[in-house]
Amino acid sequence: MHVVIINGSPRVQKYSNTDKIIAVFAKGLSEKGNTFETYAISNRKTWDIIRDAYIKNDEILIALPLYVECVPGLLLEFLETLPEKDARTRLSFLLQSGFAEGCQLRCGEAFLAKLPEYLGVRYGGCLVKGDNFAIRFLDEEKQVQITKPYQAMGKLFAEGDGFLREEAKKFTGPEYFSLPMRLIIGLMHKTLAKKMLQKVAASLGCRAPLDKKVWETNSGYTE
Amino acid sequence: MVLMIDTTTNHIGKVISGELLRIGKNATGFELIDTTGMHISHCVGCNYCWLKTPGVCAIQDDYEPILRKINKADQVWLISDTRFGFVSWQTKNIVDRILPLATMYLKFKDGQMRHVMRYNHQPDFGIIYTGDGDQAYLERWCQRTALNFERRSLGVFSESRGKEAVSCML
Repeated sequence: MHVVIINGSPRVQKYSNTDKIIAVFAKGLSEKGNTFETYAISNRKTWDIIRDAYIKNDEILIALPLYVECVPGLLLEFLETLPEKDARTRLSFLLQSGFAEGCQLRCGEAFLAKLPEYLGVRYGGCLVKGDNFAIRFLDEEKQVQITKPYQAMGKLFAEGDGFLREEAKKFTGPEYFSLPMRLIIGLMHKTLAKKMLQKVAASLGCRAPLDKKVWETNSGYTE
Repeated sequence: MVLMIDTTTNHIGKVISGELLRIGKNATGFELIDTTGMHISHCVGCNYCWLKTPGVCAIQDDYEPILRKINKADQVWLISDTRFGFVSWQTKNIVDRILPLATMYLKFKDGQMRHVMRYNHQPDFGIIYTGDGDQAYLERWCQRTALNFERRSLGVFSESRGKEAVSCML
């Protein structure tokens, strides 16, 4: 199997969580001699090359972050440039997000499930998983730890059924958090997580409160 | 205040606003923004609006004045062409860049995680579309989008049902 993997994130590749997920996924995919080529739509200058790879290959995987309940605007724009193909081509998706619960990604997944039909190709399923916001802020060791499960999904994909098997569906994790979990996570977000985010912001040079109401004072941004 | 953001190639927002005026909506009660000729980039996912310059988008183009109006509006109507049954990428770019209105802080609301809003006031959202839109999907997406802002969907209307949409703006 040879797979064309397209990173559908608008974020530059260097900071792309999706890119880091793809790298681990591709390790699993290539364990038994399968091959792949990867592209990223964040650089418009490469769109002709990506489109050409899409046209010439039959096994396509688009990996993308969820943007406001669906696909990012930039990916929509790229998709509009693709020609119609036929059912010999299979199009699968890897959808990831910051929010951790599976329910947060279902609206985006529903769009992706219908998209192949509009492009004239077959649907190969959608791997859905959240809780990935922090990847790019973690050190390498922790990045490996958090992305490691995607390697097994690469192996699964290599077995030929896309993401249509039960194992891929279970990969999402909890659809909703239980009430005790919500209480614990909610408390964390009021305390530890807030401090952690403030620390990340400070490391980026931010000195303003993260909940600053910029426009209520009508002062513009002065920090 | 009703805000209409029109990205359609046929500028159907003009027809909608004409109908609004015809049935008696005061011209000060609504605003139509036609994005033709504006430079509005896609969201690049830099997260600066959450973590580096909270509340302010790093991209300096024609979008910020629109976002300020979204922030003040009671209703935001996305007037969009459709592709793949969904809104156009031009409209999706406008929605993707709404993130400065939310903060990076998280909380649970009705059993699901949500961003804590930056401001106290949020608008409801509606869609008026041209072409072969997937009505059921657009309704689902509009509801989910509004939910993120702890608001409600005003409904989704094809161009031919524009008058129904207008009745929701009064």
